[in-house]
Amino acid sequence: MISNYLLAAWRHIANNRLFSVINIFGLSVGLMSCILILIYVRDELSYDQWLPDGERLVRLHTAYYSPDAPPFLTIRAAGRMMEAIRNYASDQVETGLRLVEVGVTVVRGDAIFNEDIMFADGTFFDVFQLPFVHGSAGTSFSKPMDLVITESTAIKYFGRTDVVGKNLTACCLQGSQLEVQVTGVIRDLPENTHLEFEFLTFLDPSMFDFAPNVLNTWTSVNTYTYFKLKAGADAESLKKRVDYWLNNESPLREMVEEGVLPSERLQLKIMPVPDLHLKALRDAGNIGDMKPLGNNSMVLAFVGIAFLILLIASVNFMNLSTARASRRAREVALRKVMGASRRQVAMQFLGEAVAISVLSLLFALVAVELVLPFYNMAIGRQLNLVLSDDLPLLITLVSIAVLVGLVSGSYPAIYLSRFLPARILKANQSSDGGGQSNIRSLLVIFQFAASIGLAVCTVVIYAQTSYARSMDVGYNYENKIVLSGLGATAAVDQRQTIVNELTAIEGVEHVVLSSEVPSQDNENNTGFTLLEGASEGLSESVVLNYYTAGFGFFEAYEMEMLAGRGFDEAFSSDVIVPVPEGDDRIGHAGVVINESAMRRLGFSSPEEALGKTLRADMFRAGTFDLSIVGVAKDVYFRSIKFGIRASVFLNNPGSLRVATLGFRTHDVAGLVREVERVWKKILPTTPISREFLSEMIQAQYQAEEDQAKLFGIFSALAVVIACLGLYGLASFTAERRTREIGIRKVMGARVRDIVGLLVWQFSAPVLIANILAWPIAWYVMSEWLDGFSYRIEGHYILVASMAAGTAALLIAWLTVAGRAWKVAAANPVNSLRYE
Amino acid sequence: MLKLHDLSKIYRTDEVETVALDTVNIEIEAGEFVAIMGPSGCGKSTLLNIIGMLDSPTSGAYLFLDEDVSGYSESQLSNIRKHNIGFIFQSFNLIDELTVAENIELALLYHNIPASERKSRVATIMDKVGIAHRAKHMPSQLSGGQQQRVAVARAVVGNQGLILADEPTGNLDSAHGQEVMEMLQGLNDEGTTIVMVTHSPAHSDYARRTINLFDGHVVTENLRATG
Ligand SMILES: Nc1ncnc2c1ncn2[C@@H]1O[C@H](COP(=O)(O)OP(=O)(O)O)[C@@H](O)[C@H]1O
Ligand SMILES: [Mg+2]
Repeated sequence: MISNYLLAAWRHIANNRLFSVINIFGLSVGLMSCILILIYVRDELSYDQWLPDGERLVRLHTAYYSPDAPPFLTIRAAGRMMEAIRNYASDQVETGLRLVEVGVTVVRGDAIFNEDIMFADGTFFDVFQLPFVHGSAGTSFSKPMDLVITESTAIKYFGRTDVVGKNLTACCLQGSQLEVQVTGVIRDLPENTHLEFEFLTFLDPSMFDFAPNVLNTWTSVNTYTYFKLKAGADAESLKKRVDYWLNNESPLREMVEEGVLPSERLQLKIMPVPDLHLKALRDAGNIGDMKPLGNNSMVLAFVGIAFLILLIASVNFMNLSTARASRRAREVALRKVMGASRRQVAMQFLGEAVAISVLSLLFALVAVELVLPFYNMAIGRQLNLVLSDDLPLLITLVSIAVLVGLVSGSYPAIYLSRFLPARILKANQSSDGGGQSNIRSLLVIFQFAASIGLAVCTVVIYAQTSYARSMDVGYNYENKIVLSGLGATAAVDQRQTIVNELTAIEGVEHVVLSSEVPSQDNENNTGFTLLEGASEGLSESVVLNYYTAGFGFFEAYEMEMLAGRGFDEAFSSDVIVPVPEGDDRIGHAGVVINESAMRRLGFSSPEEALGKTLRADMFRAGTFDLSIVGVAKDVYFRSIKFGIRASVFLNNPGSLRVATLGFRTHDVAGLVREVERVWKKILPTTPISREFLSEMIQAQYQAEEDQAKLFGIFSALAVVIACLGLYGLASFTAERRTREIGIRKVMGARVRDIVGLLVWQFSAPVLIANILAWPIAWYVMSEWLDGFSYRIEGHYILVASMAAGTAALLIAWLTVAGRAWKVAAANPVNSLRYE
Repeated sequence: MLKLHDLSKIYRTDEVETVALDTVNIEIEAGEFVAIMGPSGCGKSTLLNIIGMLDSPTSGAYLFLDEDVSGYSESQLSNIRKHNIGFIFQSFNLIDELTVAENIELALLYHNIPASERKSRVATIMDKVGIAHRAKHMPSQLSGGQQQRVAVARAVVGNQGLILADEPTGNLDSAHGQEVMEMLQGLNDEGTTIVMVTHSPAHSDYARRTINLFDGHVVTENLRATG
């Protein structure tokens, strides 16, 4: 019996090549896309799931709100929060942990590297139980300055891993060089964790006494703060306690304005560590995490695409099977005459569908093997597919294939098994009524609506990414090299020398210093009070973002001044000279503000702001009265995703950390060599860190561009599968309608009348698909675009929709017309013979 | 009306050569009612298809209304055909997805006739063949006799002067067959030329002349005594 079915199925596959190729190809491509997406999503979902006691680990995130500025979000927390919350909620919290990242240079023999050291409270290994290769949590991380490194770092510096007891030199902590002994070696961190560090040092809080904004602060957010919860507690219960503490017990009550609750200015969020990779993005603002976070909505979008592609492929199967039903009607009728029940016939067709689907899975697996390297390159991962040691995945895939088979086989099975032998065998009736072709039209409408929707999304995503990339940021970032590391103690004294020597290099136009360069999303905020405002009752301070810009900065970046001037050596009184400690004098300096800051401070024109004075506390430099010497046009100094922030530019030599070198030369490689030579000569102990600014800017869009590319590829696949289905359907429909076409030709229809007839038959569903797809795509894409502060306008979605719709229609026409032509040109006599 | 001169039709399929018509000479005058008879496979349908310009002869000449059409292109033939020739098939060949009225209208659809005129001509012809009350029905809802009446209506709605009927009664019981024959007779009385293939001697009696085919040859031609 089974072999009889198999034989029938196999003959059927072999004898209906077009049908089989379309189905197997479509399902294979669908399953391939599905597998690729599945392993990517699985990887995304695996982040930090492997951490022992992971369900008890949470991280503290902070959000600041002020009445007339965009909120400031960060996944870090203020230095004093950890201890305060741990003590207050001691019934829920087992232990707390802070991490502070510090950039240093590490020296070993001749080798010098820029590295980040992660300073961690001694509780680190209680919270994150990472496996040791040499040493143990108890012995290797027990006292201040204990240093644990990863395996690959050990190999990088020493060439082997058993390096406990060896020394490394780090520069510079608190301005001095430090000899540190390696006390333990841990396994390299896997790819699927939010944690990222190579050097882990036992934190001695007194080390940061010189920088009270790191640990000893309620308002500066510079630490990653974790808690390990006691059994029974969870993120939600802790959040409740923390919220109560914030408004009722915390010292922050004293730090907000009269009549305002701390929670109106500040929110503390608690997020489970296993959720971080996919969910922290919404808390992250623009400073980011230790490494790039995942994007939950992208993961969902990809799952959606995988599902749609599979559905589209399944619909092909249903449509083609039923369209060709008349061909198998006789087989069904005879089986029934011979005594087969309807159920048996249905099972036969279901079995066929499952067989085709499983066969397609095999092809899909081969295809995944082939495209995986390119896929990994596109998504920047190292995913692999080894089904032999991955039983759950194998079972999942086979289940998906069987399910797809059942779904695609169900409708044909029900439809075909319903045939009544008496009617079929009467032979004179056409076996295919109008009803089925209606259902097929509905399915085609669905396929094309899905394809058009995906195409619209792709076009909009592409348009937005290239728009964001090509938009005018307001400054010139071409032909600029950024050299960082000039804030290092060793470099500070040499700063002027190096600027001079670099400027002297052939082809260098200028070298300017600053605290940040555009695209670096550092956050520095402090309160500024407009002194002239006091008379009008505006004595409150306004929190503004500030940067340091050295002489010539605005000119070098070609940033437009709306009024006044930038910083210039001719005005040395602009420079912030620290007020000696213990001295109560107020210092004086110049300041440039941007347009947004001008408005925040209440000025209605740039000219009005000139000459006015802002008072601000410059931390260790003292308190300053800053006279506004210039108003700069708003530019996207930070990434475009972040938007424009009200900002103040100071000229504070103590904060100059990066140099921007503008050049004009055809020999960029030669210039870079020369820059490196000069650097090495003047700063031999500081490794050079140079980047092209244009590449730094570009890097900001990389993730979006990669996602756009992937989205594009998968939607293109969906469209191809849908078109294949349409081609098959057009073929079979044309075939099924040959008798009708013959009659029409006998009545005088020309070939082009016939082609027109068939083309219209298939245009109608595609047109309806457009009507369905457009509003959905419009809604989804408007929501997506809303996430961008700088975005293409809504009517682009309409343009994209029209483009996608027209393309779909053209493709459908070409697909159908080719087939229709062939059938229409045939001699009608053959189709009208009574046989 | 039409004249076949030494006309032959040879089908070639995979090394098998079938001579369906062998140097056939036939002349048919306007207003005639001709029956073609002969055993199955002797070439009757082939002959009818060639007369109807649905197929072209392998050799020989075909004069239709004094024009030699044997060298005409498909679109030229299609043009002559749609204005002059109506077809009736044994298996009716109605389009299942169209209503009775739409099936009849099909014969006018490719004639550049305004929709309103098409509708009125269809209505007239449906009255004439007695299926007006079935105008909105689908072919599958009609009996064979009714379907064939629709086919007859479709064949003449364009005022075609020649009707070719290939075993029009082959699928009908005798009562219905009789009905269709009477309709054809009526059309012939109004001046329509009719060429009909049939197996039934009773039905060939309606014709004025009977051509007997055997193996692609014309064997005899009988003229019925007009009485
Ligand atoms: N398209 C075709 N290809 C090959 N042989 C054909 C074709 N049409 C008809 N024939 C052959 O030509 C001969 C005459 O057929 P036909 O005219 O249909 O006979 P009739 O209508 O008298 O039964 C038969 O032998 C038939 O097999
Ligand atoms: Mg015949």
